[in-house]
Amino acid sequence: MSQVTPMVQPLLLQFQQLFFLSKVVGVLPQDLTKFRHKNVLEKSRNGMIYMLGMLALYVGLYNLLIYSFSEEDRTLKATQSTLTFVIGLFLTYIGLIMMATDQVTALFNQGKLGELYERIRVVDERLYREQCLVNNSCIAKRIRIMLVMTIIFELFILLTTYIELVDYTQWLSLLWMVSAIPTFINTLDKIWFAVSLFALKERFEAINATLEDLVTEHEKFQTWLTGDADAPEPHTADSSETQPPQYDSNLEYLYKELGGIDIGSLRGSGGKNNKVAPIAHSLNSFGESIQTPRKPHQPNPNPMMNMAHESELSNATKVEEKLNNLCQVHDEICEIGKAMNGLWSYPILSLMAYGFLIFTAQLYFLYCATRAQSIPSLFRSAKNPFITVIVLVYTSGKCIYLIYLSWKTSLASKRTGISLHKCGVVADDNLLYEIVNHLSLKLLNHSVDFSACGFFTLDMETLYGVSGGITSYLIILIQFNLAAQQAKDAIQSFNSFNDTAGLVGAATEFGNESSTLYDLVTTTMMTPSNY
Amino acid sequence: MSPNSWVIEMAAHKSRLQVRRSLSPHPHALGSDAFVRSPHAPVGNPVFEDIGTILSVLKASGLLPIYEQVSSFEVGPPTRTNEFYSFFVRGVVHALTIFNIYSLMTPNGAKLFISLRETDNVNQWIELLLCILTYTLTVFVCARNTKCIIQIMNEILKLDQEVLRQFGVALSNNCNFSIKFLLLIAACQAYIIFIRIHVLDGVITPTTYILIGFYAIQNGLTATYIVFASALLRIVCIRFQFVNRLLNGYSYAQLLGKSRRQLQSHMESFPEDSLFIYRTHNRLLRIYKSINECCSLIIVCFLGYSFYTVTTNWYNLFVQITNNKGVISSHIMQWCLAWLCLHTALLTLLSRSCGATTNEANITSQILARVYGKSKEFQNIIDKFLTKSIKQEVQFTAYGFFAIDNSTLFKIFSAVTTYLVILIQFKQLEDSKLEEQLQETN
Repeated sequence: MSQVTPMVQPLLLQFQQLFFLSKVVGVLPQDLTKFRHKNVLEKSRNGMIYMLGMLALYVGLYNLLIYSFSEEDRTLKATQSTLTFVIGLFLTYIGLIMMATDQVTALFNQGKLGELYERIRVVDERLYREQCLVNNSCIAKRIRIMLVMTIIFELFILLTTYIELVDYTQWLSLLWMVSAIPTFINTLDKIWFAVSLFALKERFEAINATLEDLVTEHEKFQTWLTGDADAPEPHTADSSETQPPQYDSNLEYLYKELGGIDIGSLRGSGGKNNKVAPIAHSLNSFGESIQTPRKPHQPNPNPMMNMAHESELSNATKVEEKLNNLCQVHDEICEIGKAMNGLWSYPILSLMAYGFLIFTAQLYFLYCATRAQSIPSLFRSAKNPFITVIVLVYTSGKCIYLIYLSWKTSLASKRTGISLHKCGVVADDNLLYEIVNHLSLKLLNHSVDFSACGFFTLDMETLYGVSGGITSYLIILIQFNLAAQQAKDAIQSFNSFNDTAGLVGAATEFGNESSTLYDLVTTTMMTPSNY
Repeated sequence: MSPNSWVIEMAAHKSRLQVRRSLSPHPHALGSDAFVRSPHAPVGNPVFEDIGTILSVLKASGLLPIYEQVSSFEVGPPTRTNEFYSFFVRGVVHALTIFNIYSLMTPNGAKLFISLRETDNVNQWIELLLCILTYTLTVFVCARNTKCIIQIMNEILKLDQEVLRQFGVALSNNCNFSIKFLLLIAACQAYIIFIRIHVLDGVITPTTYILIGFYAIQNGLTATYIVFASALLRIVCIRFQFVNRLLNGYSYAQLLGKSRRQLQSHMESFPEDSLFIYRTHNRLLRIYKSINECCSLIIVCFLGYSFYTVTTNWYNLFVQITNNKGVISSHIMQWCLAWLCLHTALLTLLSRSCGATTNEANITSQILARVYGKSKEFQNIIDKFLTKSIKQEVQFTAYGFFAIDNSTLFKIFSAVTTYLVILIQFKQLEDSKLEEQLQETN
């Protein structure tokens, strides 16, 4: 492209609403006005102070909530085993820990986050130069859907629990609203991560699509070449069939000689097509959605039969530059992915811990509630199976979506090698083969694996392991709960017998015989409980 | 040995690297310059100065050979008398072990246990036996691997020498952590001995003192050996880092803002450097593998012992905290905390240093993939290395059972949690049964 490359629109443009919301709630400390005007995330001292204030406020409110609702837990502590109580206490605070991790990490990373998006913008520019376009417009839609889903889930859980299970005659019960804050803030933070990850995945896919388009174009070119060469001169067609296809470039040259000026003009129109599409698209993503976005390399929707196809793959030296650049961009995206993973590693670890614990706890307390045992007051949503299901869907949805997206992204990055090889196979050219081999060796070493602090990778295997872990913990907990319940029942029945025995003993307390009578009563009444 | 020394050295090192970069069209000039400088290098300084303390402790206890220093870049086998000394120490250790096992069988040994219940005694027995087993194994393996250790040291030193000759960079070892860990181990063990003797009542015979003291020494030396292994890994890791930094100078991110001519002169030294890098990388991998072979059996044993200790101590701690009688024995709590602190720190150190080294070793090919070679010659050089490293999985394994890295730490702690949940539930069940029985007897 000879013209000056226009600025690609930054990814952050799509984040307007999300950023505004995050800023108000206190998820991100960056400067709001600079974001509005220049679409950059910059450090801001005021934002930091505001965020710390919000964090302190949330922690204070949450502790107040725990304190005011712990009245009901007093009796619970007496009846329940210590382990359950300690675990319950831990579970009440894990939400707060998770929220604090998110916010503190966001504070520490406030400078790096802006750099990350700047790097993504540079990548976009490079991709644009390679005529490989990424459609950002669906990201805004995605953000909106996620936000709406989050708000629906949070409100539903909050309101149903409040109406159904909280005693709302007391004004202190309004504090229950605070219980939704940690999960809401966590979800907002994770939406940032998920959407950025999705954007990376799209870039990988755009690279793959570009490579695949090269392949389809070349295939078309070949069929066109053979088909067209068939008509004017049968001799050439024969040679193209018998000879290996690496002489295709020669044929193209021959055809150019034969076709003369007609092809040049057609090719020019083809080139124009390629140029027009990106601009139409970029206009489109600026908000003026007049035309449907169309990829520049997509084969024409109404292919003219006699149109001259051109294929970049037939010119190995020309395509080498492009493939090399794509490979480097791929590496840069991988690096961005790693950096992003580094920024969010602690929040993800805490989210996974939270998801695991809350999922197990909610199911366990649901079991407890169906057995009419008392449960910690903050887990009162477990009393209603329907709300429990919603809570579980919400929590697991968050975790699973992140894991799924990470998995898909690393798959998409690995797919590039396959697409590259397709190019090599289709072109069937020794020189190109060497390039493809070299580049695919490089691609093999671009690894992007998402992990939580290096403790475990985020892929389907981990998801399987976690679900297995939840199941086995549930079985262990329920089994022991059963056993403890049986033991407790035995003690209670014994105590009640003892009480009646005591009454009888007091009533018949006269003289020396009372003790023997008492013994008699106890022994007779004890017998059924000892069976 | 000040904590800042490393930083200062690194700065000097970097500037030297940069100097070299600017002079890179004339590598020979600088090479000869470095060669001239090399006699000024401290000849009298002992090798591996950073881990000197830990080395002397291990040498004194017969776990490492008391090698002779031939030059500043070579160590020789131990002399006859020193060899005999190590042999003697090992003999004493084995004799003491047998004596200890014998005295544990006698009723005298039973006093050692701070008994709470029958199961706790069994636990302590198992812990003691595991400790004895681990230490005895360490001594045996070390005795067998004397030559191997000296070979590893020589290889590392030879590599250092080559780096110094080619680049004029003396690689620092940055192993100050070893002294901190040594102090931690000593402090924990001394504290544990103190508590143990403090808790014991009645007349304490010398045999008991020997028992307790030897037990602490066994623990301490095994832990020291683990720190030594981590220090070796750290040393290898720093070499890998040097190689990676060298290679990183050629990646395309560094070449972005340069003109064509600059680029060409920059890439000129690549074939030569890449040869050095490949050779060094291979040698480092070999060293890494031989360290793994030397230590893996000990590490497996230690991991098992550590896992057991951590689990039982957490359990004890929990039992103490939730004691229904309301009497929290502060001795047992301190004791448990000391053990936990020691073992957790060691496990973290080991898995982190293994993970870091593995990571650095694996990252080399990733950096190489970022080197942009325009000409066929460069591409072939790059391809050769990348092809070689496709299926070459670098890992630090525990005797082939499992790979040790950060995820090992995670797995160990999740396993500890699972066991704790089960154990605590059983204990509560036991308690409620006990209550029932008590009420029945009333």
